[in-house]
Amino acid sequence: MTELLVKNAFVIDPLSGIKGEIMDLAIRDGKIVEEVGNGAVVIDAEGCLTLPGGIDSHSHVCGTKVNFGRYMSPEDMRAGRTARKGVMHVTSGYSVPTTYGNSYRYSTMGYTTVLEGAMAPLEARHTHEEFTATPHQDMLANTLFDGNWAIMEAVKERDVKRAAAVVAWTLSAVRGFAIKLTNPGGTEAWGWGEDVHSIHDPVPHFGVTPAEIIDTMIQANELLNLPHSVHLHCNNLGVPGNYRTTLETIERVPDVNPDRQSLYLTHVQFHAYGGSTWRDICSRSEDIARAVNQRPHIAIDMGQIMFGRTTTMTADGPMEFKLYMLHHNKWSNHDVELETGSGIIPVYYSRKSLVNCVMWAIGLELALLVRDPWQCMLATDNPNGAPFVKYPEIIALLMSRRYREKEGEMIDPKTGHYAPLFAIDRELDWYEIAVMTRAAQAKALGITRIGKGYLAPGAEADIAIYPLKPDQLDPSTDYQQVAAGFSRTRYTIKRGRMVARDGEVIVEGANSTIWSRAQVPAEYDMNHDSEFVKKFEQYYTVRMRNYPVQDVYLPRGICIGTESSL
Amino acid sequence: MRVILKTRPRAKPKIPIEAETIIPQNFLGNDIRVFEGNKERRLQDLFYVTIEGPAVSPDQIEVVLTGDTGVLKRVGEYMNAGRIIVEGDIGMHCGNFMSAGEIIIKGNADAWLGREMRGGTIRCEGNAGHYCAAGYRGEKRGMRGGIVEVCGNAGDFAAEYLCGGEIRIHGNCGDMPGVEMRGGTLIIGGNCSRPCGNMTGGTCKIFGNVAGFLPTFRRNGTEEAEYKKKRYLMDAFRGDIANRGKGTVLVKR
Repeated sequence: MTELLVKNAFVIDPLSGIKGEIMDLAIRDGKIVEEVGNGAVVIDAEGCLTLPGGIDSHSHVCGTKVNFGRYMSPEDMRAGRTARKGVMHVTSGYSVPTTYGNSYRYSTMGYTTVLEGAMAPLEARHTHEEFTATPHQDMLANTLFDGNWAIMEAVKERDVKRAAAVVAWTLSAVRGFAIKLTNPGGTEAWGWGEDVHSIHDPVPHFGVTPAEIIDTMIQANELLNLPHSVHLHCNNLGVPGNYRTTLETIERVPDVNPDRQSLYLTHVQFHAYGGSTWRDICSRSEDIARAVNQRPHIAIDMGQIMFGRTTTMTADGPMEFKLYMLHHNKWSNHDVELETGSGIIPVYYSRKSLVNCVMWAIGLELALLVRDPWQCMLATDNPNGAPFVKYPEIIALLMSRRYREKEGEMIDPKTGHYAPLFAIDRELDWYEIAVMTRAAQAKALGITRIGKGYLAPGAEADIAIYPLKPDQLDPSTDYQQVAAGFSRTRYTIKRGRMVARDGEVIVEGANSTIWSRAQVPAEYDMNHDSEFVKKFEQYYTVRMRNYPVQDVYLPRGICIGTESSL
Repeated sequence: MRVILKTRPRAKPKIPIEAETIIPQNFLGNDIRVFEGNKERRLQDLFYVTIEGPAVSPDQIEVVLTGDTGVLKRVGEYMNAGRIIVEGDIGMHCGNFMSAGEIIIKGNADAWLGREMRGGTIRCEGNAGHYCAAGYRGEKRGMRGGIVEVCGNAGDFAAEYLCGGEIRIHGNCGDMPGVEMRGGTLIIGGNCSRPCGNMTGGTCKIFGNVAGFLPTFRRNGTEEAEYKKKRYLMDAFRGDIANRGKGTVLVKR
């Protein structure tokens, strides 16, 4: 029995309704409890900002495409090297660091849970192996269903229940957490040398449209009662004028779940462009934010970009090919048989490029214009918009108008004509930042049920204590201190154990992988569905019995079981 | 000021020395340390150091390296003024990222001589190894400015990713000189094989024979070029058309 007592903590815990109180937190055996005995180890927080452990709801840190980003960018590997120190391994890399690099850097920023944004089911084993080597964060894997042939056949036959059954089988086979749709239909069309340009374009061969795939998957998700909603990367990413597609998608989503959002739209910054070409691209964040404000059943994340070098990687193959045609730099596209694809290219976001400046402004506008912080989460789609180590700077930008104006002086002076950022006065407060970086994520992902994202008794003791004293700091002027404070916790506590102190990781970690399994009736068990088995054996290059990920790949799996309503 | 560094005899003379700190600007009073393998050493532990005369700015400093200098790596990295004279051979990565000043090598240079250099002059009186004045792994821009002159031969992949500046190799080149060139000038006095694959810009002049010339270059008449004060008639080629390149390759008729 290990006991820990955090004294004099300035706690903000939005899910428990605590908006900044000096209090003590008692921890026993990795859980928050009412009180502990006298023998407990005491940590004096000295009135510092104490939040539940950070949760990243969309990040690319593990899996085959991340690894491909690593080995096609040796120059990136030379960019961020740290030497071995204590229990810390050698790390290298800046935008696509080694797994330990990711884990240490997240941990020193106070993040304890990270969702991998896109895992191709066929390549799940690799993703889980890298999860095990990311030892300081509990990991979740969004599983790609955007071009899944079995799903598209079910959509074509308008058989929601069959689609749900395929999702249930695949998620439990690959130990995935939720449904991810990346450019639904588009990646499959890319396999035929095409793309879809609106949500009503048919996918070659299957004849289904992205809209039908999205509708069916939202219904299937609810039939299975999965903890998270459908996690959607809209069609037409990065195309000027794509805000129409995004609005159309948002408008057709019904409110189907009382506990959380019905649809999670990721990296919306990349989907909020007006204009018709790169020359007249402009911000349409106001339209998107208005649509989100009107619909409490939609949640988004920012997908903020920050200036500098990074690597883009996504399952959206056609988009990456277009980017390659723009940059003519190194590039990679993959096809994952029967399921999805991917693409990777390195990019440099420049302050001199008007397009990049407008993109930078749009992300911030979305966070400032969406009224309810529970609906707009902070993320950069790491590493697509920027490596996650830039989160503290983004927090400082959101909390300080003066900082935004100061940055504005350094970027293309025409940015103000194309984006309304500098007309927005709003400055977020500590509570809203706490919502946007952990509480909203916990709610959106539906992992409060396993004790994530809050600090009330019974919760997992994931705690981040930042060297910031909210009563002595004015974030709108002391923005540099805010950024510095959020980039280095004084203490990061993971499941009741102190893992990082003053920017250094001090223990070997032992994370767990969270996955979901929906119980389905026997007639919907795809293991015994003759048509599914036949097509699987016919088309895949792997046998169906070799496909599921064995338990040995998840040394500490946490399964969220649900009862389906099939 | 003249700094003479003569290598001391070592128990294990083959262990390379990571000498990125040996640049003129560091001799204005800094305590210089180098790595021998994975052990950090003071400069005096590995060299007999002789200093002649005063200096107030780095461009008055001349560093002379003598003795067993072939094991010294990264000499002149980020050098921005002054002069380094190497009396013998020099190890890998000599003149990495240098922006100004001069390096003279009396012997041979190992691989990656002048990699990604921005300016200044390197003159190698012997042969250079592979990847002479190239970009390192994954880098898309190699040498961006300055002059590299190799009096002997160069190894494979000389001037890979060349972006600016001038490289003169008076002897022969190995395989694929000037591959992925984007700008600048590459002059090869001797023979080479398969030059300038995937080039998108810049000029390559070859005054020897070419083996395995790539088929993706389009003939573009003839031009005259001067080399060592003699004028030659050259066949001109444009390419690499496989990459929609606009580079020029001139080969002596």
